[in-house]
Amino acid sequence: MTFYREAVYRPLGDLYLTVEFGDELNLLLNFRVIAFDTALRATSIPGVTETIPTNRSLGIVYDPFVTTHERLVGQLKEIEQRMGEIKELPSRHITIPIWYNDSWSQECAKAHGAPNNLEYMAEINHTSVGDVIRAHAATEWWVSAVGFQPACYQALPLDPAFSVSAPKYPRPRKWTPERILCQAGKLTSFYPVRSPGGYQLLGRTPIELYDPKQQNRVFRDGPVLPRVSDRHTYVPIDEATYWQIRRQYEAGAYEYQIREGSYRLQDYLDKLAVHNRRRVQQAPGSV
Amino acid sequence: MVFEVLDGGPQSTIQDVGRPGYLATGMPPSGAADRFALGVGNLLVGNDPGERYLVGRRPGSAGLEVLLSGLKLRVLAETVIAITGADLTAMLDDSPLPMWQTVRVRPGNTVAFRRPRAGARAYVAMAGGIDVPVFAGSRATNVRAFVGGIDGRAIKKGDVITTLAPRRALGHLEGRRLRDSLVPRFDGRWRVRVVLGPQDDLFLEESIGTFLTYDWRLSPTSDRMGCRFVGPKLEFKPRPAYLVEQAGADPSNIVDDTIPVGGIQVPSGLEPIVLHVDGPSLGGYAKIATVISADLGQVGQMRPGEIANFEAVSTNEAVEALRKLEDSISEASLVRS
Repeated sequence: MTFYREAVYRPLGDLYLTVEFGDELNLLLNFRVIAFDTALRATSIPGVTETIPTNRSLGIVYDPFVTTHERLVGQLKEIEQRMGEIKELPSRHITIPIWYNDSWSQECAKAHGAPNNLEYMAEINHTSVGDVIRAHAATEWWVSAVGFQPACYQALPLDPAFSVSAPKYPRPRKWTPERILCQAGKLTSFYPVRSPGGYQLLGRTPIELYDPKQQNRVFRDGPVLPRVSDRHTYVPIDEATYWQIRRQYEAGAYEYQIREGSYRLQDYLDKLAVHNRRRVQQAPGSV
Repeated sequence: MVFEVLDGGPQSTIQDVGRPGYLATGMPPSGAADRFALGVGNLLVGNDPGERYLVGRRPGSAGLEVLLSGLKLRVLAETVIAITGADLTAMLDDSPLPMWQTVRVRPGNTVAFRRPRAGARAYVAMAGGIDVPVFAGSRATNVRAFVGGIDGRAIKKGDVITTLAPRRALGHLEGRRLRDSLVPRFDGRWRVRVVLGPQDDLFLEESIGTFLTYDWRLSPTSDRMGCRFVGPKLEFKPRPAYLVEQAGADPSNIVDDTIPVGGIQVPSGLEPIVLHVDGPSLGGYAKIATVISADLGQVGQMRPGEIANFEAVSTNEAVEALRKLEDSISEASLVRS
């Protein structure tokens, strides 16, 4: 489980293969995927045309007229063996305003016969709506995969103490409004455009993370803002602020809050160690 | 201005070979669901057929992909077109429009698709190729992502289609057709080759057998994103407890990983879904197999109710099939009548 001793190489038809480092959700696995992707890009192996990092594996698209599955796997295994310990990864920090428990999320849940999603999450986590929101906004989130739809991403909490968990809808919704932040398990995700889905709805942002018209200059290089290894902080805003920012955005006057930088993995490991120590101390019978 | 759209039909979109290079942003490659048909159409009218799907660098010229029936165009300027792919009873005014060959059309003519006879998607290639803005390297439409084509949507009544300058004089294009031996015969029963995996090891052995022997029927809930197949339930091996917690309670749940174009996911073991050219790059259901790239067009040509038989091949066999398909999209495949 978790970390395979050696990566598993699986064919995905004739144009892709996947390098799988484990089968579970774990930030340390994702760090490894990103580090492998970075090493691969630095090597520029003939025939590789694009790579797709996921939580636990790296999808690789290749031209089978330039290389073969076997030759590619051989070259990738060399990279895997050369890879040393990863200490730091490039990482942007983006601040995203969220109107938690917004009226669209509430209406959407109602339309699908579901209880208010935040109240439901509070109930099953034995806490209050306010505490769920505070906990969600208190941790930084690490974007571990982008996909499913343009700008739809998955993010894991960088604070190991984040404990709010949410099940998926038993029957997926037929639609979800656009720009909705959502959660399932401990993963936070995002619906950039109106789409079906089964994650619990947390709130809505007034700013776009996907802009096919590329109107704001953050979309200069492409219509999709989120990238794997970004860190997000979600800032709770009220309805009035939501509309204020939305108007700003639509007038082309919104300034995205993005900080280039890097992330030291030791920061996460230190938090994890503190968290695990606390857990042991708090475990029943350990007092 | 070459055509005016009188009726867009259920879904007619502007497509080329597609938009690779953005899978890591969640942007599907899109492009023609039947690469061979659009490629041959483009060749016939002297256009660039583009390079290979997903790994090529040139998406080639854009044409129209017509789903099932209903599209109706009025010709505004003289040009040469070629209709390829599905037989949707294409008509030029009141006469049947011959397929897999060039046809000269003149102002006042109407091109219409009356009803589907064989296959699901026809292509209209036009001399010069359709002139719409290039988005991220391609003109291919993705209606879910609102990109490509005309304003990122299917074409509709009132749209005007313009083309780029033809690469050859119209007179030189007349009389070109695809060799008879290369014209695909769509008989409603489809052999679809697959490479097993990436998660075939999560399914019970006998379910792999069922998958490879059953007559799978295409469900009406199918589109350019995913084609759903109706048949018996496929069963999974028991899973360790940590996966139930991490990936989800359903035995088909996995922690999300890469979905290739052609990947076949089987949510809850029910109704295998072939994710197609507008499909997602990431997902959390076990994938039993991947349709080989040479046979994606076969799946794209299936109509609801038709039957597919999945046949396992090796990656090397898949590459050979792709070579054969790509080699056939060439001038050498065309003749003059």
